[in-house]
Amino acid sequence: MSDMSKSDSENLDTTNEEFFADPDPLPGQERFVAPADETPLQAVDSVDENEPATSMWASAWITLRKNPLFIVSAILIIFILLVAIFPQLFTHNNPTYCNLDYSLEKGSGAHPFGFDQQGCDVYSRVIYGARTSVSVGVLTTILVTLLGGLIGAIAGFFGGWVDAVLSRITDIFFAIPLLLGAIVVLQMFKTSSSIWKVILAMTLFGWVQMARITRGSVLEAKNLEFNTASTALGSTPMRNLFRHVIPNALAPVIVMATTSLGTYIVMEATLSFLGIGLPSSVVSWGGDISSAQSLLRVTPSVLFYPSVALALTVLGFIMMGDAVKDALDPKSRTE
Amino acid sequence: MGKYLLRRILQMIPVVIGTTLLIYALVFALPGDPVAAMFGDKPINQSVAAQIRSEYNLDKPFIVQYLIFLKNALTLNFGETFSHQPVIDVMGRAFPVTIKLAIMAFIFEAIFGVVFGIISGLKRGKWYDSVILVVSLLLISVPTFVFGFVLQYFVGVKWGLLPVTAGSNPGFFDLLMPASVLGSVSMAYIIRLTRSEVSSNMTEDYVRTARAKGMSSKSVTMRHILRNSMIPVVTYLGTDIGALMGGAMVTERIFNINGIGNTLYQGILRGEGPLVVSIVTVLVLVFVICNLVVDMLYAVLDPRIRYA
Repeated sequence: MSDMSKSDSENLDTTNEEFFADPDPLPGQERFVAPADETPLQAVDSVDENEPATSMWASAWITLRKNPLFIVSAILIIFILLVAIFPQLFTHNNPTYCNLDYSLEKGSGAHPFGFDQQGCDVYSRVIYGARTSVSVGVLTTILVTLLGGLIGAIAGFFGGWVDAVLSRITDIFFAIPLLLGAIVVLQMFKTSSSIWKVILAMTLFGWVQMARITRGSVLEAKNLEFNTASTALGSTPMRNLFRHVIPNALAPVIVMATTSLGTYIVMEATLSFLGIGLPSSVVSWGGDISSAQSLLRVTPSVLFYPSVALALTVLGFIMMGDAVKDALDPKSRTE
Repeated sequence: MGKYLLRRILQMIPVVIGTTLLIYALVFALPGDPVAAMFGDKPINQSVAAQIRSEYNLDKPFIVQYLIFLKNALTLNFGETFSHQPVIDVMGRAFPVTIKLAIMAFIFEAIFGVVFGIISGLKRGKWYDSVILVVSLLLISVPTFVFGFVLQYFVGVKWGLLPVTAGSNPGFFDLLMPASVLGSVSMAYIIRLTRSEVSSNMTEDYVRTARAKGMSSKSVTMRHILRNSMIPVVTYLGTDIGALMGGAMVTERIFNINGIGNTLYQGILRGEGPLVVSIVTVLVLVFVICNLVVDMLYAVLDPRIRYA
């Protein structure tokens, strides 16, 4: 055993000597490259040293493009966005035009999904419902990211008493479940018929998670070496924050935002199901599912179509979140 | 450890006070006059209304009301509901049901979530890994209440395997379906979390070292991969107990269970300040204590973490 380690270290010494003694490149090579039989790691040889350095975002984009999960979810999301922005391209029927004569009639021709109890066309309601769900999801995510991100970044970057105060406030909001808090807030605006009440209620209790994640990643980015180096070179704290800390702390925030978008869409539907979310005058999947629940035994299709639309949308955003996470967090990759 | 525990318990006090104050303020700000609502269609008798207001301290300023509530709550006197039942009795009836439901949901999600997550993470890329992943994605995407309806329709109504709704004093089988519905979304998240933890820990240096030392594959998996993977999972499970009790609001409505979620929801709709704030206080206490227990468990699971 001891013999082996001795000869090992001798070997190492001779290679080192050779390396320093003969730094000239082998014939036909620009730089010194060890012969292939000594270096089984062909990957080392394949590195092109003249290639321009790729930024984290560029390399993430390259990984993302190759991920089938990303392609599937991107197609799904683009389609859903198209439906949400231009519903009239997909249906000519008015979702709010209802005729009781058609109540619960089966689907046919111009009305492929049939009619609900009020005699409204289910297909056009599913199409027009996309706009409500997607806008609630997107707007809530933007507001949550701005509010939570700002609070988290301030707490993490400035530390000290600012961090202590903001973290205690975060703790207080964290202890109240999102659904419970949103119900209480929505109850205050019972009479309002705007979708903003749902968005604001979810934002008020949804920012906490985002603040915690941003705080954590800002703390981590703040203590990296290049930041200290930049301070040593005379950067102001503000310049550090915008040039170094925020770009490096952004990845987990983006992942969180993409994934939680789907969760907010489900939450909106849940609030509408409980009868305190969106008013019935707004065409929404949650509202339609809620009013179709009693029809499950009679006409399950009325419940089925909006549920599938909702599930597909949420699925699209969650898969996108997974793909973005894989691309931005190299540690989670296993290849 | 003792000192750390004491500091954490002291830190809980401002959180509990802050949370109850926040909820109290929100419920206080609810529009509509609950006293006027008590008269229903009858004309409001001003002197009776004034008497009711002073009885419930509704004539006092907000902060005084809150302090009175806080003072009474410390002696477990949570006041009365608007129908003259002591709040503590209402909670005493509703909480055991929800606790039973939440514990069943918790056991369900913990066992199935961790087991499927480990199988999936250790055998990444196999067909059953894909099946587990797709099912967990579906459970997250389909809203709980849709899943609840569908299960209720097929298992309860069509096939008659389990009771459709739970009665006033539900037993194990009455709560089996509601508990699996309640735990299903969290189970899906636990599967995903466990899977990604297990597969990322498998490539860690200490796992390679353990294998190089000649450790058997089984003990590498048990002692190095799984033990390290469990830390985030335990954190998730700990914070989920509070969420399960809050999420019971939807499940209890679908299956008509008279638990804390239903009581709380009705209380919010009626603007019953004392009832809502009392229930939320208990829920927050449960949540904060669970978090503390989780932090204590860290030291057991990960010897690198020490509390001074």
